[in-house]
Amino acid sequence: MEGTLKLWVVIVAVGAINYASRLSFIAFFARRTMPPLLARALRYVPPAMLMALIVPMVVAPDVGVQAINPRIPAAIVAGIVAWFTRSSLKTMVAGMAALWLLQAALARLG
Amino acid sequence: MRRVLNTPDFRAGFVEMLPACLGLIPFGLVCGVGAAAAGADVLEALGMSAIIFSGAAQILASQLLAAGAPVAVVILTCAVLGLRFLMYSAAMAPVLRTLSAPWQRAVSFLLTDQVFAASIRKFDAHGDPRGAALHFLGGGMALWSTWQIDNVVGYFAGNVIPAAWSLEFTVPLCFIALLAPALRGVLPIIAATTAGVAVIALAGLPMRLNLVVAGILGIVAGTAAELLRERWKAR
Repeated sequence: MEGTLKLWVVIVAVGAINYASRLSFIAFFARRTMPPLLARALRYVPPAMLMALIVPMVVAPDVGVQAINPRIPAAIVAGIVAWFTRSSLKTMVAGMAALWLLQAALARLG
Repeated sequence: MRRVLNTPDFRAGFVEMLPACLGLIPFGLVCGVGAAAAGADVLEALGMSAIIFSGAAQILASQLLAAGAPVAVVILTCAVLGLRFLMYSAAMAPVLRTLSAPWQRAVSFLLTDQVFAASIRKFDAHGDPRGAALHFLGGGMALWSTWQIDNVVGYFAGNVIPAAWSLEFTVPLCFIALLAPALRGVLPIIAATTAGVAVIALAGLPMRLNLVVAGILGIVAGTAAELLRERWKAR
């Protein structure tokens, strides 16, 4: 498939699926309660999917091989801040500060 | 419309979402950079941010397309990621039940992780569906409009941002900000750990299928653990 067409197919299909999911219980199934097994399974979508996305980005970034990967401790710092503050802004600031500090420290050492 | 925009709840929702919008600026920039890297022109980049309107799905789609994954795999992976909207939709349904059907259809489009979390907190605190719906609309509009700006700026400014800043690291940080509060209790931790181990163990799968397979394995592990625990308790 040609690049532009491929992109628009993805945009329209993913956009439509996302919109249908967002609308699902607000409009389509408004008078129905969710099947209990589905309700249970859906609770595990955020932890499972988010972790599947986070791990490759932290453990194996595409930026060459380093002896020590500063992203792992930086991600742990961000995780602790996120747990206690529930603030995306504070998590972002803490994680980036930790990464920059560690990168600077590693540059000095090596 | 003006009557809606002047209500204190709408304004509160809009203003209260601004810190989160600020925190999402780097994520939005990276989404724009990712769209450019996947070969999108500016209209396609805007199509992704305006129509898909989910940073996680946009990044995932860009990465998979850049890696040469087939369209069907991109759509399937994004659809599993988007399953969480079913859950948000069910939780938001009582909040939005006082709205007319056209309004419901319009505001549902703005349902995202951040706005959902803020509006549910508001609804739980006050129990007023009309106020929470307006609050939701305000937060959603704040996030949607700033998100388009972030994406377009990222699309054009991507190659000016120094690589040493590691701006792309803000993407996992955004996901960590969403993940950490979800990890309360042992069952979500089982789901997350399973998915995290599986995504590494299955890294050899073609077309980056490891992402969607790991996600599904995590969901199954969490659900199975919950069912087992109940059976155990019932004995």
